Amino acid sequence: MSPEHPRTDRSVSTRIGARDISRNYGLVQANNGVSFNVTPGQIHAVVGENGAGKSTLMRILQGLEKPDSGTVILNDDPVQLRDPQQAIRLGIGMVHQEFMLAPELTLLENLVLGDEPMRTIAGPIAIVDWKKALTEARALEKRAGVAIDWDRPTATAPVHIQQYVEILRLLRRGNDVLILDEPTAVLAPQQVSKLIALLKQLRDQGASIIFISHKLHEVVALADHVTIMRRGKAVASASVDELDIAAMTRHIMGDAPADPSEQARAAVVLPDARRILRVEGLCAVTLDRSQALDNISMDVFQGEIVGIAGVAGNGQEELMECLAGLRPMSSGSISLNGAELAGKENMDFRRAGIGYVSPDRAHEGLARLASIADNVMAGSQHAPAFLKGPFRNLPAVGRAARQRLADLDVRYGALSDPVSSLSGGNQQKLVFARERASKPQVLIVSQPTRGVDLNGIAAIHAILKRHCEGGGCVVLASEELDELIALCDRILVLSEGRMVGAVRNEDATPETIGKLMLASGDGLEIAHV
Amino acid sequence: MSDNAHTDAMPADGLAAMVRRGLDDSLRFVVPIAIAFAVGAVLLLAIGENPLETYGLMFSEAFSSQRRFAATLSAATPLLFTAVATAICFRTGVFNVGVDGAFILGGLAAATFGVMLPMSIGWWIIPLSILAAMLVAAFWLWIPGVLLARLDVDEVVSTLMLNFVALGIAGFLVNGVLLSETSGNNTTETIHSTAELSRLLPPSTLHSGFLLGLACVFAYALWSSWTPAGFEAKLVGLNKRFARAVGISIPSTIIVVMVISGLVAGLGGASHALGQVHKFSDGFSAGYGFTGMAVALLARNSALGIVFGAILFGALASAGTTIQLFSDIPLDIVNVIEGTVMIFAVVELGKLTLWRKGKRP
Ligand SMILES: Nc1ncnc2c1ncn2[C@@H]1O[C@H](COP(=O)(O)OP(=O)(O)OP(=O)(O)O)[C@@H](O)[C@H]1O
Ligand SMILES: [Mg+2]
Repeated sequence: MSPEHPRTDRSVSTRIGARDISRNYGLVQANNGVSFNVTPGQIHAVVGENGAGKSTLMRILQGLEKPDSGTVILNDDPVQLRDPQQAIRLGIGMVHQEFMLAPELTLLENLVLGDEPMRTIAGPIAIVDWKKALTEARALEKRAGVAIDWDRPTATAPVHIQQYVEILRLLRRGNDVLILDEPTAVLAPQQVSKLIALLKQLRDQGASIIFISHKLHEVVALADHVTIMRRGKAVASASVDELDIAAMTRHIMGDAPADPSEQARAAVVLPDARRILRVEGLCAVTLDRSQALDNISMDVFQGEIVGIAGVAGNGQEELMECLAGLRPMSSGSISLNGAELAGKENMDFRRAGIGYVSPDRAHEGLARLASIADNVMAGSQHAPAFLKGPFRNLPAVGRAARQRLADLDVRYGALSDPVSSLSGGNQQKLVFARERASKPQVLIVSQPTRGVDLNGIAAIHAILKRHCEGGGCVVLASEELDELIALCDRILVLSEGRMVGAVRNEDATPETIGKLMLASGDGLEIAHV
Repeated sequence: MSDNAHTDAMPADGLAAMVRRGLDDSLRFVVPIAIAFAVGAVLLLAIGENPLETYGLMFSEAFSSQRRFAATLSAATPLLFTAVATAICFRTGVFNVGVDGAFILGGLAAATFGVMLPMSIGWWIIPLSILAAMLVAAFWLWIPGVLLARLDVDEVVSTLMLNFVALGIAGFLVNGVLLSETSGNNTTETIHSTAELSRLLPPSTLHSGFLLGLACVFAYALWSSWTPAGFEAKLVGLNKRFARAVGISIPSTIIVVMVISGLVAGLGGASHALGQVHKFSDGFSAGYGFTGMAVALLARNSALGIVFGAILFGALASAGTTIQLFSDIPLDIVNVIEGTVMIFAVVELGKLTLWRKGKRP
């Protein structure tokens, strides 16, 4: 066993780093000779397109994965990490892209899980000292400057609170190297600024932080130093003062001429566009602590992208699920081209021409244990093109799978690999590849660009626009106001399950929408547009 | 899931990955067996027997001559059906432990029809008896299927309980209205000779039910990887929320697999009644439903694995009985091996770091 190093030793030049690390998965070179250094008390951003190898590098730094060659550097010395437990003892902790808290336990139980404070009652018999645990929790809470209801079951806590708990959990174990893999992907803008403040404060207390994000403005706002990865290599590393966003973008894209800068979409003015989707007086009751929906009406016309905005948890996801037929409505009507869908099953919605992109990629958008091919072909199993008599025509299925993935430039190893081997952004593109393939007329799309890189975002936005130009329409819920403003013809705002306003594209600014989002809705005149 | 590996044989795609996974699968099959035999060896040593000698003897008892091999296959026959019936449900994420009860009721129905139908209908008696068995067993498992799909009644509890009910019903009937007047206690009349399945290798009891069993396994393989229904069932087993979101009906998938499972279990019961014992008596199923579950777990629901697993357990059963006659070794050693295989078959061997160092958990 290697000697355990002292923590927060400011005299070392590298608190944590990598020297020449390579890691292959089959033919994919996820990491290819990566070197980088994080100095003590630094916030070090790692950026790069989907599949660049960021998460792989972090898993290696955390001892979850072993490099094929090269070493991890800790306090200037090479170390061999056997497992994450050892990494934790050495002060390295990670918050993964998908959280790893146990949903049935309370936040406090999750905080101390695996390292509970014990109280001896007699001889060798000891029990968990919950009072001490709560005291520790309160102290951490204060140190971080956040407020947390520790008795709350984790599943019911908002995402950003769960994330705080993950971070505090690491601090409690004395970890001073914090690795955060795309922590902001699941957060609303207000929550992002809070997280940034927290991380800066922790840095000032001596923590070294590795921060992964696709949003470069966050990197500029937060990081001291940035390392850019492309296709498994670290292609640039510099102080944030030396690299502006344009330069970072150039390094991320390499020679690719792609122009990620978004052209705001001009509102469609089809003279007599057909109404496709009509929602009238939709109400839904609370199920499993979800937000109830109250009397929502909206129309979506051919060629339109209608945005749904709101502070997270005000009923956007519930509305989207109702529109996709996945959540029962208690009253009201949803009709597609005049045909009533209320009371029908999700498969009837799909058959009628409604496609759905779930915000919960890990649990609903994908079957993580199934293969890439199965994930991209699910839902098409009855299409005549993929049948030969009563049997599946597997060669045709394989060809179609490859075609669908290629159309959206999804990067993968083999069709039979589990879908979890794809990088986060490629997983999302796969979901689009599947939903688009059944040629739905209406796409119900929730949080489509979470964790997706610039090229991927541009690709997904292009898919949505093309869908509308082809005569379809889109309902888009997103926590990225910029995204809504760039894409939508109209933006509807929800607050506490009620529609509190609507803004046309030409009037849409973060301010006008933000004001509606924060209004409680009572006594507010709904601006009909 | 081994399922993915062989079933979705996408052509010309990641040969290395396929080889690797094939290797993984065979390890998953062999390792539990090896551990089980090791545990058995410890027990044999403890009672003063030489395990190598014993295992050698068992092996030759099971495989060394045509007669013995036929006996092994004959013992494997009911397991082919019960393992398939179990695997169909397990891969759909439905933990059906009621195959034994369905097997028993199927056997009872076939034995009853095999004696009650008039001789004059000739060979028709066989398909009619089999059909009756399949319908009875399918109805039997349809009940917990509907309870689970519509009312969310836990299937482990309901199917486990229904096993006792099935035993009770069968016991009641063979001691009552169906009791034979000539051949003593707890048994029905022997079926008409026209209802008997043909013997394949007389004098052994191996009968054409074995071929039916192989056909079942083949049909299962075809269903699971080559039909839309089998694909949907797999997705339901892997992730219900996902399956629902892509438009698959969870309730009807559950009910359908339970009914198919019942059909297969009933067919198995019929094969055993018409091919092996020629009547129904108490103790008709020597725990075939549960041994079949061990086979399905060991095979991780793969068709090929089911054939090997059934033959392995068939060999253990047939060698175990003869070996008990000629030595002091108790038959229980077979049960120990069977139980140990079952435990280690469900252990996620991938989580043991022994030979998979450095893989993502
Ligand atoms: N377990 C695995 N098996 C096979 N391939 C893998 C595995 N893990 C990662 N890869 C591949 O390695 C490459 C790098 O993946 P990684 O997850 O590190 O990307 P990333 O930079 O984190 O991307 P994202 O921003 O999308 O999260 C990808 O091409 C991915 O498909
Ligand atoms: Mg990643």
